Amino acid sequence: MSGDVRTFAPVTSPPAALAARRPGSFTRFLGRRDVMPTLLLMPVLIFFIVWNVIPTLWLLGLGFYRFSLTSGRPPRWTGLYNYTSIINDAGVWADLSRTFVFVILAVGIETLLGMALGLLFWNSQRLPGRRVALTMLFAPMVLTPVASGTFWRLIYDPVFGVLNSIIRAFGFQAVSFLQEASTAFGAVLAVDIWMWTPFMVLMTLAALASVPKAELEAAEIDRLPWHQRLRLVVLYHGKFILMLGILLRTIDAFKTMDLIYDMTYGGPGSTTQLVAMTLYRRAFEAFNMGWSSALAVILLLISIAFTATFIFVLHWRERRAEAA
Amino acid sequence: MSETDGRPARIGRRRVLGGAAALTAASTLTYPKYVFSQTEKNHPLAGKSIHMAVLGVAGWLPSSLSVDMSPDFAKYAKAKYGYDVSFSFAGAPFGALFQKMATSLATRSQEYNIMISDSQWLGALATPKWIVKLNDIIAKDPALNIEWYAPVIRAAYQVYPDGTDNLWGFPQVGDTISIFLRKDWLEAPGEAEAYKAKYGSDMPKTWEDFEKMDLEDWKKLLAFFNRPEKGYYGIAMQWSREYDALSCPLMSFMRSMGGDIWDPKTGQVQGIMDSQVNVEAMEAYKSMLKYNPPGALNYFIAEVVDAFTQGKVFAAWQWLATGATMVPKELEGKVMVVPPPGFKNKAGEVKRNYIIGGQPWVINAFNDADHMQVAFDYIKWWYLPETSQEYLKRGGLPCDKATLSAPGFDDIYPWNRTYKYMLQRSTDFWHDPKYAEMLSVQQEAWTGYMTGQVNNPMHALQYVACKQQAILYDEGTADKAPTSDCNGIRL
Repeated sequence: MSGDVRTFAPVTSPPAALAARRPGSFTRFLGRRDVMPTLLLMPVLIFFIVWNVIPTLWLLGLGFYRFSLTSGRPPRWTGLYNYTSIINDAGVWADLSRTFVFVILAVGIETLLGMALGLLFWNSQRLPGRRVALTMLFAPMVLTPVASGTFWRLIYDPVFGVLNSIIRAFGFQAVSFLQEASTAFGAVLAVDIWMWTPFMVLMTLAALASVPKAELEAAEIDRLPWHQRLRLVVLYHGKFILMLGILLRTIDAFKTMDLIYDMTYGGPGSTTQLVAMTLYRRAFEAFNMGWSSALAVILLLISIAFTATFIFVLHWRERRAEAA
Repeated sequence: MSETDGRPARIGRRRVLGGAAALTAASTLTYPKYVFSQTEKNHPLAGKSIHMAVLGVAGWLPSSLSVDMSPDFAKYAKAKYGYDVSFSFAGAPFGALFQKMATSLATRSQEYNIMISDSQWLGALATPKWIVKLNDIIAKDPALNIEWYAPVIRAAYQVYPDGTDNLWGFPQVGDTISIFLRKDWLEAPGEAEAYKAKYGSDMPKTWEDFEKMDLEDWKKLLAFFNRPEKGYYGIAMQWSREYDALSCPLMSFMRSMGGDIWDPKTGQVQGIMDSQVNVEAMEAYKSMLKYNPPGALNYFIAEVVDAFTQGKVFAAWQWLATGATMVPKELEGKVMVVPPPGFKNKAGEVKRNYIIGGQPWVINAFNDADHMQVAFDYIKWWYLPETSQEYLKRGGLPCDKATLSAPGFDDIYPWNRTYKYMLQRSTDFWHDPKYAEMLSVQQEAWTGYMTGQVNNPMHALQYVACKQQAILYDEGTADKAPTSDCNGIRL
């Protein structure tokens, strides 16, 4: 075997080889149970922080400053001045109370109508043209509020509006729906109901779909009257979805602005001036940023209060049952 | 808004050509220094290509003319300065334009290099230094030192704060309130006789007849032509809550009757706004509602144009800048444009003190050097005699004395004479940075009274006075705080 020179690769000691096969520190870091999910969530978190958290903190801070974009002066710390000014402003209270009336009437009527129509569609599954009817019913909801507002402004027009043509055809005098202080609020409310009742129909259908068929069949076998079937079976199972719909509509109705902007601009006088319109005008017409931020914070707190109330009501029975 | 479709009324080629020829001759004599053949050597932009963005009022003929006429400037700039320039136009309706402008300028953007602002916005644009102060520039460049037709032009379109020499804008379009009326209705057979039989006096026919008329005389005429059973109405006026729709005509009533809305020196509103004479002005304006078509409470500029051009009304209370839209081809020769109602003072004289309209040019302070240079080259070109004539021909309303005083000016369009007349009888209102907040309160309360939400005009005025006093005191403009009776006031 002379001359047979065998060359060997340097022998690596067993612990070093093991170390080479062992994952590196970065890989180990990635391998930790909590890291990967956090990394995957990171883009959403960054988006949330940049577009939600920072602006909200900015808004909270600005509410304590006197800052008008057109004053040419830097923001000046005024503590709670903007908040006290809002609380002492009778106009804001009037706008808020008008908004509450709007929300209660709009959401209340939309919920009742939505549930009625939802039950009607649910019970008529073999009806010919049901899908077409449903699609048509949802059309107002998918239109932008500005387009709907424009349609309805023209429909309400006292000279060439369709509605007034019908009124005149029956021998009555034309009504200036959007121009008269006595009719404008109702006219705008009616458009909101027209637009958003389909949403409550949708929520009702979703709620009905969540009801177990077996229980419904049992209720039918037991010949429960329709109102008991509704209360004990349908609402018992579907109430969470329905309440979610009511909550979403409440928050949405509370910030109605675009429809008002297009139809009446808050007028005549201030009869349709909802608080979101007030906020818009003070922020983006008057550019009074400090005051508007304070009002926005108050409105945010009211929305949070709505949510908390709804959740409390939703779980009220369970809590009582648990307490008992 | 149908103003977008506005074309200059065809008033007869001979009249237009005759007037234009007279203007050319007169203005060439007035501006001998600025002729097209003049060339500038070593212009800093020679050989460059620049794009300029203009922001103005959407659907408003005078604003759109700024870009429609820009190809002429491009040729002029190429020949005189040696650079290529193109223009684009962005617009928003009156009610949304300030928002568009301010939000862009607040970010120190040069998105819009030249802007057409409303006269009330000068304070709000000048105070944060978003627009260029023009004193030094005008002092260095005699071409920009223009003699205007009336003192109100400088006061309304250029100066902020009021009463100072600080200049921030150049007039883009002058504008005044007037009444467009149907001459053919006046001259229809039997109307004059019927009018005389009803009122015992002759029906007004000439411009001079209308100049003498006060509000009561107008009411008779409007009542005469108000025939709702036939679908015709006396007049279309502006009542809307949008922007300053109701404020401008109503403030005109107040001032013409001897009232006012504030004291610009002290910022005092209470005691001036809520005066008895303003109550009477509110009642007088509301008394005109019965001569308006149904739905008029929503009328702003475009709705008045529609009502008039559709033949629904005998007369229209309208801004003269809409002239070309108000007198389309179908109404050519059938329309008269006359001064709005006068108001008799204690001496029995008929007086007018109306709100001026119109918009100034303002220059973005954040323009880079090239865009700034082109902006001022453009403005200089805008005031050249030939440009003014072209602008006038296309339906614009220039403000320089040379153009307006030239022989033949009055006859070019039916509204020209009234324009000059009303320029002498018009004044502007706030240029304060807080104008938007004050206007919002005023529009809310005044439309509240007109639409029946508030029945007592004094209460509406007190509400406005309290709110505006608080706004101005808060900002440091007013010397006095609102009085204690303002606490908790609401409409």
